[in-house]
Amino acid sequence: MSEPTGVIHDIGYQRYTGPRLGRRHVFGALYLHGLRSAFGLGRSAKAKIFPWLVMGIVLVVAAGLTAVRTQTGQVVMTYAQFADAMSWLVIFFVAVVGPELVSRDLHSGVLPLYFSRPLPRGDYALAKLGSLVTALWLLLGAPQLVMFLGAAFTTDNGMRGVWDELLDLLPGLLYAALWAVVFASVGLLIASLTGKRAFAAGGIVAVFLMTAPIVGILSIMPSRTVNELAMLGSPTALIHAVGQYTLGDLLVPGGDPETQIGGFGPVYVAVAVLLVAGCVALLLLRYRKVAAR
Amino acid sequence: MSTVSWITARGLFGRRRFLLLLPLPVLLLTLAILSRSLGVDPGEWGPAVLVGLGLAVVLPVVALIVGTGVLGAEIDDGTVVHILTKPLPRWQIILPKLAVAAGVTAVTVAVPLYVAGVLAHSVRLGVALAVAASIGSLAYCAFFVALSLLTRRPVLLGLVYVLIWEGLLGNFVSGTKVLSIQQYVIALADRIAPTEMLATNVSVPVASVMSALIAVGFTALAVDRLRSFSVAGETS
Repeated sequence: MSEPTGVIHDIGYQRYTGPRLGRRHVFGALYLHGLRSAFGLGRSAKAKIFPWLVMGIVLVVAAGLTAVRTQTGQVVMTYAQFADAMSWLVIFFVAVVGPELVSRDLHSGVLPLYFSRPLPRGDYALAKLGSLVTALWLLLGAPQLVMFLGAAFTTDNGMRGVWDELLDLLPGLLYAALWAVVFASVGLLIASLTGKRAFAAGGIVAVFLMTAPIVGILSIMPSRTVNELAMLGSPTALIHAVGQYTLGDLLVPGGDPETQIGGFGPVYVAVAVLLVAGCVALLLLRYRKVAAR
Repeated sequence: MSTVSWITARGLFGRRRFLLLLPLPVLLLTLAILSRSLGVDPGEWGPAVLVGLGLAVVLPVVALIVGTGVLGAEIDDGTVVHILTKPLPRWQIILPKLAVAAGVTAVTVAVPLYVAGVLAHSVRLGVALAVAASIGSLAYCAFFVALSLLTRRPVLLGLVYVLIWEGLLGNFVSGTKVLSIQQYVIALADRIAPTEMLATNVSVPVASVMSALIAVGFTALAVDRLRSFSVAGETS
């Protein structure tokens, strides 16, 4: 039995003693990473296919609309109407990006690694939500900017015409932001329920698509009140109703919003706020549970 | 019932996620019963519920979830290797899986469609919708099973087909309707029970031939792809 001869050598490992960036920077990094991965930046070419397919389609449509307008002078679609016309693509985009943001982390079980940083549970969910909202807003806002540039450079009234266009564009961008917030909060909540990206994508599409016919059914019910409240039936129609109430003829040129939603405008706004708040609250609850596991 | 189909059925129903399939048919039934009991004119709610919800949303989405689930889920978590290493001809793997997928889809979709069809018009329309939806579910499932062997992201590609090809382009570019399973299903149902609720511009011979071609062709393609299938880890 010989004496133990092993020695633990000091090979110079050192603790980090410099300044630490803290919570705000963790949040920012997570947000930026989420936004980049929403468009597949910093990932392989495969991850870029679907987001950029959708982005390409909306930009081509916007370019086409601009071309028609400059050639014939007819406004086919206002800025706000553009978001409504692209609703199926927005649903698809959420189904692509939402699972990409949250389901991957659930699937590969890396959440404990995130939460071992100075990162509160809620911040993770909110950062992901923020990046999805931003990505959706960019998706709807970029084509509107293309349309604006096309209109601004071909206007006949000089700066005055550009200014009028700008006044049309800003409500359009706000409306796009409403789309982004509602779709992101609902979509991310569904995506956070499962770690399988395939099922998350299917679930998101199912929820958004199957609620649409409810509106159609409710709007032919034999009751005027039910008809006017029919657009509560689906997120897409809810956004449209809020837009009708707040934007008026920018969304429905020449139409009277009273005919479709009656006097229930404030109800729609309240329900939209409640929907977003409820989804965010459930998302935070969900991550409290996931984190505790 | 072969072992493969038994495993597939257990894989579909063994988890909680098959509950995901229930809300869609239930919603279809609820809307049909609600409209009927309130005495709304069937000519108004019929197309919205039967075509707008039933054939355009419930059928493809259920087929997508089930069709990519029977094989795609196993490829995803790598357990497909256990089946591939057994000395089974590939068609004995694909056919039972396809049969389970098409059967589950058909039952999930055809039953509520039958009830809704009876409520909307007549028993004949109900039977027509159920039969057409069953044919459609076979075609859709063959397509989605083949898709899950052709690409690593079958659900997203399937969504591209359902949302962009059938949904978006089908509304604006009428030419794409000739290549859309949804239109075949409508044409077949309209042939069995002619009503004014179902309208399509695809002729019945085209619809039946194309449905058969899609079902057989994509099954053959899936068998062929599974022959030279390489198991790779998840990339990107």
